[in-house]
Amino acid sequence: MKKIQRRDKMKIYGDLLMILRAESGNEKIVITRIQMKINVPFTRLKKYLSDLAELGLIEDEESLKVTEKGKQYLDEYEAVLAFMKRMGMSYK
Amino acid sequence: MYYDELRSIIEIISAVICFILLRFMIKPYLVTREGRYIGLPLGFGFLGVSYVISAIAYAQPNFVEGDLKWFQLLFRGFSFVFLAVAYYFSKKPSKNTRIFWDITFSGLFVGLTALALLYFIAPQITLDNYWTINLFVRATGIVCLSYIFVHCIREHIKEAEPTSIWVATAYALLGISQYSTLVWVVDKSYFAFWGSLAVRLMGLAVFLYVTYHSFYQLKKKRQQP
Repeated sequence: MKKIQRRDKMKIYGDLLMILRAESGNEKIVITRIQMKINVPFTRLKKYLSDLAELGLIEDEESLKVTEKGKQYLDEYEAVLAFMKRMGMSYK
Repeated sequence: MYYDELRSIIEIISAVICFILLRFMIKPYLVTREGRYIGLPLGFGFLGVSYVISAIAYAQPNFVEGDLKWFQLLFRGFSFVFLAVAYYFSKKPSKNTRIFWDITFSGLFVGLTALALLYFIAPQITLDNYWTINLFVRATGIVCLSYIFVHCIREHIKEAEPTSIWVATAYALLGISQYSTLVWVVDKSYFAFWGSLAVRLMGLAVFLYVTYHSFYQLKKKRQQP
């Protein structure tokens, strides 16, 4: 059986924001689809979403739209991940 | 006199590049908040500090061998160890190794502080054995940089990221620079000595290019419609 790697909270936040940004093109963001993509239990996903809303990275837990601050964070996050890859460092 | 001035300038340029790099090397730690990445900024920071110490030492008209050189040697040696440890832990899953990287980095700090204090407690040990320690530090640097080079090449093959080969090249250049210094220490070859300085500057310039490419050129690309 393939072992699923445990992720750090910061990595989950980053992945979640990336998924939400990718989903923002759709008319409605379906939470179950997000849950399937992020691969965490529903109760924990709700907790992460409430954390993101509290940090001002998404508008609220209902609309799940990524705010300007969230987009800026995501740009920085992606740039740093790309930089780490170039530096030969993996983020597991 | 001319040599000292030239050497000081080279050391200052190296230090400035290291401190510019430090500003970007700290970002992985700030974004991920994982202690294992702290070795990257600490490594480049200590490297920068070692160049500053060298610059001060060469700018002194009556520079006495051993005084500042001990600290320069210490910071340079530890900078490569910090970098190697950061690379070692980067490939391990964070949840399982958190305690190990905390212990390792703390141990390195204690080691660095103890060796720095040794200069004040027993200066004769540091001064009498300076050349032997110099050889040991350079050899440690070569081992650490070789490990990082192999690590980067492996990651490059795995991820197929075109720019990552530049980082491996930069580490290789820093390693060659350490090797040339080692040759100079043993052989007093001036070709090796000036070669080591030139190769070091080239290595740091490659790091600067990769960093610029990562943070500014990509940003520019993204902003274009």
